[in-house]
Amino acid sequence: MSRLPQREGQRIDRSRPLGFSFDGKPRQGFAGDTIASALYADGQRVFSRSFKYHRKRGEICGCGQCANSLVTVDGAPGVRACAEPLADGMAVEHQNAWPSLEFDLMAATDRFGSRLTPPGFYYKTFIKPRRLWPYYERVLRRAAGLGRLPRRQAERGWETEYRRRHCDVAVIGGGVAGLAAALRAAELGADVVLCDEDIEPGGLLLAEGAHEQARDLAARCEEAGVEILSRASALGYFDGLVAIWQGDTLHQVRADRHVAATGAIEQPLIFPGNDLPGVMLSGGALRLAALYAVSPGESVVVSTCERRGLENALLLHNLGVSVAAVADLRREGDEELCDSLRAAGIEVLRGTTAVGASGRGQLAKVTLAAVDARGRAQGHPREIVCDCLAVCGGAAPASSLLLQAGARAGYEPGANRFLPGEFPPGVNGAGAVIGNEDPASALLSGSLAGAESALALGFGGAEDRARAEDERGRLEAATASPSPCLAPPALATDGRSEKAFVDLDEDVTAKDVAYAAAEGYDSIELSKRYTTATMGPSQGRFSQLAAVRALAEDTGLTLGEVGLTTARPPWTPVPLGALAGRPFEPAKRSALHGRHREAGAVVKWAGDWRRAYDYGDPAAEALAVQDDAGLIDVSTLGKLIVRGPEAGELLDRLYPNRMSTLKPGRIRYGILTSEAGRITDDGTVCRLDEETFYVTTTSSGAAAVEQWFSWWQADWRLDASITDVTQGVAAMNLAGPRARQILAELTELDCSNEAFPYLDGQHGEVAGVPCLLLRIGFVGEVGYELHCPAPNARALWDAIAARGARPFGLEPQRILRLQKHHILVGQDTDSESTPYGAALGWAVKLDKEQDFIGRWALEAKAESEPPTALVGFVCPGGEVPSEGAAVVEAGVVTGQVTSSRRSPKLGQSIGLAMVPPAAARDGARIVISDRGQRIEATVQTAPFYDPEGEVLRS
Amino acid sequence: MSTAFISPLGSAEAPARGPFADAAAAAGAVTEVRDGWEVVTSFGDAAAERAACASSVGFADFSFLAKLELQAPAATLESAAGALELGSAERREGAWLCPVAPELRLELHPPAAAAARREQLEAAGVRTCDLTASLGAISVCGPRATETIARFSAIDTRPKSLPVSGFRPGSIARTPAYLLREDEERFLILFGAAYGAYFWETVATAAAGLGGRPVGLDALAAPSEVPHA
Amino acid sequence: MSFVLTCPNCGTREVTDFGFGGEVSARPASKPPQRELNRYIYFRRNVAGPQREWWVHRSGCRQWFLAERDTRTNEVLWTARPEEAP
Repeated sequence: MSRLPQREGQRIDRSRPLGFSFDGKPRQGFAGDTIASALYADGQRVFSRSFKYHRKRGEICGCGQCANSLVTVDGAPGVRACAEPLADGMAVEHQNAWPSLEFDLMAATDRFGSRLTPPGFYYKTFIKPRRLWPYYERVLRRAAGLGRLPRRQAERGWETEYRRRHCDVAVIGGGVAGLAAALRAAELGADVVLCDEDIEPGGLLLAEGAHEQARDLAARCEEAGVEILSRASALGYFDGLVAIWQGDTLHQVRADRHVAATGAIEQPLIFPGNDLPGVMLSGGALRLAALYAVSPGESVVVSTCERRGLENALLLHNLGVSVAAVADLRREGDEELCDSLRAAGIEVLRGTTAVGASGRGQLAKVTLAAVDARGRAQGHPREIVCDCLAVCGGAAPASSLLLQAGARAGYEPGANRFLPGEFPPGVNGAGAVIGNEDPASALLSGSLAGAESALALGFGGAEDRARAEDERGRLEAATASPSPCLAPPALATDGRSEKAFVDLDEDVTAKDVAYAAAEGYDSIELSKRYTTATMGPSQGRFSQLAAVRALAEDTGLTLGEVGLTTARPPWTPVPLGALAGRPFEPAKRSALHGRHREAGAVVKWAGDWRRAYDYGDPAAEALAVQDDAGLIDVSTLGKLIVRGPEAGELLDRLYPNRMSTLKPGRIRYGILTSEAGRITDDGTVCRLDEETFYVTTTSSGAAAVEQWFSWWQADWRLDASITDVTQGVAAMNLAGPRARQILAELTELDCSNEAFPYLDGQHGEVAGVPCLLLRIGFVGEVGYELHCPAPNARALWDAIAARGARPFGLEPQRILRLQKHHILVGQDTDSESTPYGAALGWAVKLDKEQDFIGRWALEAKAESEPPTALVGFVCPGGEVPSEGAAVVEAGVVTGQVTSSRRSPKLGQSIGLAMVPPAAARDGARIVISDRGQRIEATVQTAPFYDPEGEVLRS
Repeated sequence: MSTAFISPLGSAEAPARGPFADAAAAAGAVTEVRDGWEVVTSFGDAAAERAACASSVGFADFSFLAKLELQAPAATLESAAGALELGSAERREGAWLCPVAPELRLELHPPAAAAARREQLEAAGVRTCDLTASLGAISVCGPRATETIARFSAIDTRPKSLPVSGFRPGSIARTPAYLLREDEERFLILFGAAYGAYFWETVATAAAGLGGRPVGLDALAAPSEVPHA
Repeated sequence: MSFVLTCPNCGTREVTDFGFGGEVSARPASKPPQRELNRYIYFRRNVAGPQREWWVHRSGCRQWFLAERDTRTNEVLWTARPEEAP
């Protein structure tokens, strides 16, 4: 098909042809085309098949608002053909048809299935037998999909970006009102961001012959410093934050003031056959002709119920499109416009509307008639042969963003629309969305909104305020009488076989809405969910008003009474990847991480740290610690410095045992509990000097413990300061029979047991690195936890490793500590565990005079037996039950396994479990049920290894 | 001092290594030991690095800066270290004095000056903790610096919200951090040292998307805190 | 939910910068009877309307502060350091 003559304002560059393919066949378009305009110009009217009935669908709005032009481009599904600029070499494919666009097997649902597929059919049809649901689901998903995603992330090849933008004024919508608002606010000195969905700003001006004005306004905006985001959709308004999706970037715009200039959306008409390719919105037809020089048809008929349709018909004619006839539902009004149309040789039929369209897969004939209130044809219908029907069923304000911000919508019968009002503070509307539709008043209302926004922020002066006052007066005068629009009649749903669609995204027909109302789904929110009308990708842009009207008709309520459904984000369908934005995955790594990698460590997540889980042979690593010497990176431990004259007092109030009595250079284990007496964390406390304590916490608990301490401190305000040094201090544990010898070779400290006994903390240089050495024994062997500045950690690690201490990871450490019954908070305790239920009653000193957090609850707990006890167990059969497996008694779950491992040293399967108190005695038999397997175990209350701690203290 | 084990101690043979050391090495860093720290002088192309800072964005490791945390009653802080207004840091004798809360401050000093400063503050009754190793520092500079930061932080960097010397504790790359505007087009980000590799990747990706790159100290106009061999 | 809060030390930030400490409830001065203890530990008033609550600027100065927030609208009426709260 050839293009229309060249004119100003067209986007295409005829000197730059672009080659692309559609379903594998080569096609051609021009630079500046969209995929849809190029296909249309090439004679391709059908782009995809519809969601449910697999009907052929093509161009409708010409600006990316509906789901009927979704295609797959270079493997990426869901691309809107009428909004996506054509690029050289693009591989475009249709969606939702198999085996081909022309012959789709699933289209059988259209012919035979509509009676079988009423609303809610799958709730009703596929419930039995239940076990087949996964199969049904697979078939349904395939049948009702809208394109397919490549399975693998790598095949998607798409990286997304997040961008934060703060500004004074955010303007949503780049039509004449939005441009005017942005320009005015920027001229007054405000920092303005404007986003617009189209390829260039200008909105309706671009296609309506005012492209020069549009481009001039946009240029002035740029000059005034407005940041214009094109092809950018505002997805939603979230407590003042507007999320804007633009290609690969998600902009999060936080503005002090917002102007919604989101326009109004031309509405379709509802009649049988209203989805045939060739039936489109009058604005869509106009865009094809004006912007892309594509004639929407050889012969075009226009059917409208307001002025806009007449104007568009005349514009089409002036662009060289052959318009055969115009049907206007209104019997009178706009006589001059009608005369102009007649003068152009176009037949004008007043008081009539489209009541039917037919053709084989494409529009061939339209039926026009006068109708009664129920949409039944009156008198003699007129049949006109044509291949394009441009419809205009009024315009619905695109108020979603305003409603999300808290505005309310009210129905205006005369103008046949829901108009938003009662705007929240800081939010303005401008242009068609608030009823200022004609370009002049849209410009005025935009300028006023821009001025009001900037003035409210303190920009501008008295003169500007006066000008805004004047504009307000002029605008009120101009909008006293809105342009009349006759509501198209609701369609009679009785006795018709051809489908009349209310929602083209979701293939919901007028009959479906009536059917749902008859079944009792008579509120708009229920009707929406039951029929799925308005739930498709266009978010009700073209179907909300029709669905409301259909329901009003079926229930006898007024439109105002039926109301709108709640406006929810996103306004535009958005790939989840765009919402995810940049893939942030904050990971902490110790200063020794590089060394672990070099040593072949298996690295896994441990809380928010990446940790060496093992170095390939956890059992051998564990044995090395017990037989020789091992070295583990424990930099992940939380580390706090608590300092001040009342530091001891602070710790006494937080820990259930005494910390203020610690002597400088000594270490004590402590648990932390909530006020309810539940264990929240544990660790050691070393007193460094009279006023300074060094507190370690669990690896995952560091931030929470710091917050917990400072929270109470905010209340108590003791003379003590808390500093988290977790990330600056590296720590490594050198343990094993040869640990002392290795250490002695690297330091001048006296490492003998007498000079440096168990639970002592000493300062000294090790391998030239300043260290705090804590003699503690989490793994059960003689051990020294060396704390040093992270920037020096590598030198220290290297020096120790060079003396033969074998690096061991988290997994061997877990075996070793299990042998000693050393618990892991969060693993061997849960949110219900008290110290008494976790064999840690000894760490609670109720005899201390000091009040402490959790004391009152613990006093009560101390008086009664805990519901469960934490004990060790051995499985004589050698099975290693899963952690989390149930402890059962006579078929009833009475406890659970919290930790279990095979000990290479002991040659036994060992574990810790929560069991009923009665079973908490040596030799008691317990039964573990592990995924259907029955495992017998014997309780052992003392540690499996070195029960008296002689090794540890040696 | 009983907390000596938290203060990095470097020598020419065994220099202190900041949280970016591994990532910078992998990116081809040319290093040198200054004031006991392994610092990056360039990534092999100082001219291109200077160009990035002038026309787009460059980022450089400043983790060697000494960072002192000061805690004391507001009046004590004021008499010992001068009055500061929350939100605004002050440049004084090669140091940045940054207020976090009325009773909490951060000070950034050249490595060599830290020990003496600490003693001076302690003597004045200010509890001073050395966070040099706990916080990494990255300088982001160039005309695209604010756009780079906007790729991973929601902190408002418009000049009217964050003027030169403005100091903002807040979330950066989803971690707790501090942002200091050293100059119109120059920012210093302080972040948890364990996030070094993650931070490097985050900043590098954002900068690369805007035409930026990592740069060595040689590429930056030598501000007073850059230590020299 | 993406409202902003004003940290008394750092200024206005996104709510995701902060940690929530729940409604303010005073710790009894001495051990209360069991019933009151349970109320203190386990029960919250959970008002629909302005509520005095604890927040911590977890990603910033790490200081705790008090806020009054309308739980229905997320409107934050004021924030203040604990010792300066109205």
